[in-house]
Amino acid sequence: MSDFYQTGVITTLHQLGKTSLERIEAELCDFARTRPIALALPALYSEFEGPAMPGIVQELAKVKYLNEIVLVLDKASEAEFQRAREFMSPISTEVRIIHNDGKRISAIYETFARNGFSVGERGKGRSAWIAYGYVLARARSGVIALHDCDIVTYSREMLARLCYPVANPNLDYAFCKGYYSRISSKMNGRVTRLLVTPMIRALQQLIGPHAFLAFLDSFRYPLSGEFSMITELARVNRIPWDWGLEVGSLAEVHRNYSPRRVCQVDIAANYEHKHQVLSADDASKGLMKMTVDICKSIFRTLASEGVVFSDGLFKSLLVSYLRQAEDTIMKYEADAAINGLRFDRNEEATAVEAFTRAIAMAAQAFEENPMATPLIPNWNRVSSAIPGIFDMLKLAVDEDNK
Amino acid sequence: MMNAVTLRTEVHEQVEKIGSADIVVGIPSFNNANTISHVVRAVQAGLAKYFPTRRAVIVNSDGGSSDGTMEVVRNASIEDFSAILLHHRVEPISRIAFPYSGIPGKGSAFRSIFEIARTLEAKACVVVDSDLRSITPEWIELLVKPVLEDGYDYVAPLYHRHKFDGTITNSIVYPLTRALYGKRVRQPIGGDFGFSGRVAGFYLSKDVWESDVARFGIDIWMTTTAIANGFRIAQSFLGAKIHDAKDPGADLSSMLYQVVSANFDLMEEYAGVWMPVHGSEPVPTFGFQYTVGLEHVPVNTGRMLGLFREGLNNLREIWLGILGAGDFREVERLGALADDAFCFPIGLWTRVIYDYAIAFHHNKLPPEHLIKSLTPLYLGKTASFILAAANMEGAEAEAEIEKLCKAFEDNKEYLVMSWSKHKGDQT
Amino acid sequence: MMDFLNLIFEPLQAVFQTFRVFLPNFLAMLVIMLLGILVAWLIKFIVVKSLHAVHFDSWSDRMGFTALIRKGDVWSRPSAMLGSITFWFLIILTLMIGLGALKIPAIDSLVEQVVGYMPRAFSAAVILIVGYVVAGFVSQGVLIAAVNSGYHYAKLIAGALRILLMVLILAMAMEQLQIAPSIVLAAFSIIFGGIVAALSISFGVGGIEAARRMIERETAEKPDAGKAKDEIDPL
Repeated sequence: MSDFYQTGVITTLHQLGKTSLERIEAELCDFARTRPIALALPALYSEFEGPAMPGIVQELAKVKYLNEIVLVLDKASEAEFQRAREFMSPISTEVRIIHNDGKRISAIYETFARNGFSVGERGKGRSAWIAYGYVLARARSGVIALHDCDIVTYSREMLARLCYPVANPNLDYAFCKGYYSRISSKMNGRVTRLLVTPMIRALQQLIGPHAFLAFLDSFRYPLSGEFSMITELARVNRIPWDWGLEVGSLAEVHRNYSPRRVCQVDIAANYEHKHQVLSADDASKGLMKMTVDICKSIFRTLASEGVVFSDGLFKSLLVSYLRQAEDTIMKYEADAAINGLRFDRNEEATAVEAFTRAIAMAAQAFEENPMATPLIPNWNRVSSAIPGIFDMLKLAVDEDNK
Repeated sequence: MMNAVTLRTEVHEQVEKIGSADIVVGIPSFNNANTISHVVRAVQAGLAKYFPTRRAVIVNSDGGSSDGTMEVVRNASIEDFSAILLHHRVEPISRIAFPYSGIPGKGSAFRSIFEIARTLEAKACVVVDSDLRSITPEWIELLVKPVLEDGYDYVAPLYHRHKFDGTITNSIVYPLTRALYGKRVRQPIGGDFGFSGRVAGFYLSKDVWESDVARFGIDIWMTTTAIANGFRIAQSFLGAKIHDAKDPGADLSSMLYQVVSANFDLMEEYAGVWMPVHGSEPVPTFGFQYTVGLEHVPVNTGRMLGLFREGLNNLREIWLGILGAGDFREVERLGALADDAFCFPIGLWTRVIYDYAIAFHHNKLPPEHLIKSLTPLYLGKTASFILAAANMEGAEAEAEIEKLCKAFEDNKEYLVMSWSKHKGDQT
Repeated sequence: MMDFLNLIFEPLQAVFQTFRVFLPNFLAMLVIMLLGILVAWLIKFIVVKSLHAVHFDSWSDRMGFTALIRKGDVWSRPSAMLGSITFWFLIILTLMIGLGALKIPAIDSLVEQVVGYMPRAFSAAVILIVGYVVAGFVSQGVLIAAVNSGYHYAKLIAGALRILLMVLILAMAMEQLQIAPSIVLAAFSIIFGGIVAALSISFGVGGIEAARRMIERETAEKPDAGKAKDEIDPL
């Protein structure tokens, strides 16, 4: 049972009481008639052999309101692609698998490169982007929902709650982000708790009130990988292909839509997924790479909105962040104590130290090359440069799935 | 065993003496001395009244009763035929009573009846329970006539029952069988059936008589086998079904296990038949339907809901594995409802049954554990139905069951899609 | 001078001599190892194939064996896991035989000890695996039966039973391994006896009231429950 406090400039939809999934799904079936819903699933083949995927398929098999499921399969051989298809077969919704390493989709990526579009390295961002492209190419769905494929505690209630605000024509939301608590025997979700939120607060302290910072600060879980949006948004938004995906996407949403049309929804009582390992030194790996990318993405967005990043500002940011993060640790220590959760203060402090280094690295990278952008161009631009691209993509995927 | 063999030859001699017959009426029994004489007399009267020119045999296949059931069968007779007869009986009615051999169970009893029917080259067979108190001579007519005169192969019964009776039939067996095979046979496990000699021969040709079918689940096996193999099906309205109280010590979860596992086993065998079926169609119904009043039946729904919540507390891991996180949370939500607000959504119930069928198919748990773990959920569903139907007329309650069947049919795609995944592929 | 050279050459010669004796042994070891790896791989292949043929994977899903290895964060198929266990077992065996071929006394006696211990280790492992599966099966059956009869402490009963069975099985395995047999026996008797004694004492002394209440409630509920059962016919 959560509170009903409205956070910041966007709408927050809480989980109040025990709601009936049966009712939400019945309503979604109605909504789906006017706003068909597509589900995009970026996945690695290795996830099919992991603990989460069987549960996700078992749950999706019971979902009736979806119009289509587009699974983008990365790092898979031809045989593995076939196995993945077999694996998805219990699902009655039409499932299309985009086989990133297949010869047809590879040819599509080559076409982008030939025409000077950098679609980035493989990863969730690129997978999400190509999934949007396919949904746009088919033009059959009005809503796109997306979530990861490594959620061990997946329940179709998550999906239903995620889709509801955007699919419901009476609510008029264009973008909806999922949030949840990340509790096992201890508090997880360190990057959000100890990096993003303290850094946003530190930045607000340094540069004063700022619309984007206020927007970002309104999200209870800005790094959650689950969201839904109207298909139109997928057409105009650019998305980063690096770890800045979540924050970068929010920046694009903020740029294109009024906060009034953005909401966040409580999708799960509990959430567990594969954890990233914190490699304190290597900036190109794991959590460290992720944090550097996230910071760069925030700096870039702010710079584009007219914030001047000087050397002094970065120095103050480091100190100010550290203060904020330390205060945050104390808050969470108390929060963990009253809820009887394990809390390793040293581990948290080590993480903050690593995050401080990450901010410094990001600042350096930003100063060296402020223009370096990992954003994949939006589909409007791509389709105007390569007019037949949608047909090509549709053909490639449909042929692969025959 | 030696004993059984000698008796079998004895039976054979008797059968050979009779030579051939048009109608064979089989009555399986086990310690039913109290009720069986009424059943035998009703059958005799029915045969005499409606089939005076047909040669008929009454076969009592006994499971080794110790209360003289077979003696009662041999001696039961109607003193004054003129009281009920319109015609003079032309053909005599033979009687055979013997203990069957093989695995103890109703299935083995039926096997002997089928064998005798085959040897006698019977055109029509009827089986009726030996504990019936409400059987009338008309039952024989209603179960035999569609076979002899209208060319039907299998006649299922249709009873008028109390709205709270037959809950396993109403919430699992009927909706599931109907959704699977597309025939609206209202009482697939009624226990009183009519069928042609052809079907009896077909049953005998099936290699099931050393399996669980011999012990229990013969009723659903007969009905499903007849439907799935494309025989012509009908049902006859027999009126009320009143029979001796079942063994009060009989454990509900064992009963559930027997009935549901028989259903699930048949799903394995006839997967190719039920998968392509969409929707359902009514089957021709004989007999004049009428309603009788409902007496008040006290049911302790509090106890049922208590067991349901107990199951929720203790079987969490098992249910979560079978139902998946989404539906398990729905069940959990039900656990928090107050008794008078309790309502088991029918969509959820269909998914529960389908999930159990899929878990059975994929061997997620040992079959007996699996199906017995369904008991608390079944009790929850039953309590919900009883609460909802408390103030309903019989027809309204029947409409509720119709809604449930519709939900089973609508959700069938989920079952079909999840089933097609190969066995042993769950890693 | 000659003497001095001899002084140098003699040990070298001795080393060379030893090496000449040792070299064939070493080569033999290499061949044994190579063959062993090949055979191990082949047997693993056969084991995995035959386990597939008998649907071992779905059996272990059913018996909770899969769940057990998942708890240990093993996500491969149970048959594949057994295959690799067999493989590595055979590799160790070849290693032993190969080392034996070196004919170094110290290693020889070590190999002898290990080989001598192997049957025991193997039967202990079998006891553990079979025991785990049986304990899981029995406690699950008890849990479901207890829930269906409406006992309040179904989970507790099943859990306790499972622990008891596991203690028994562990003792059996230890006994097989001959790890301090007398202590294991004594400890087992004490623990098992202690549990029984504790149960009887707690029920006998502390639980009289509770037991009475429970029995009273059960008997009080009985006629009511029986009536509810009789009135409706589930079939």
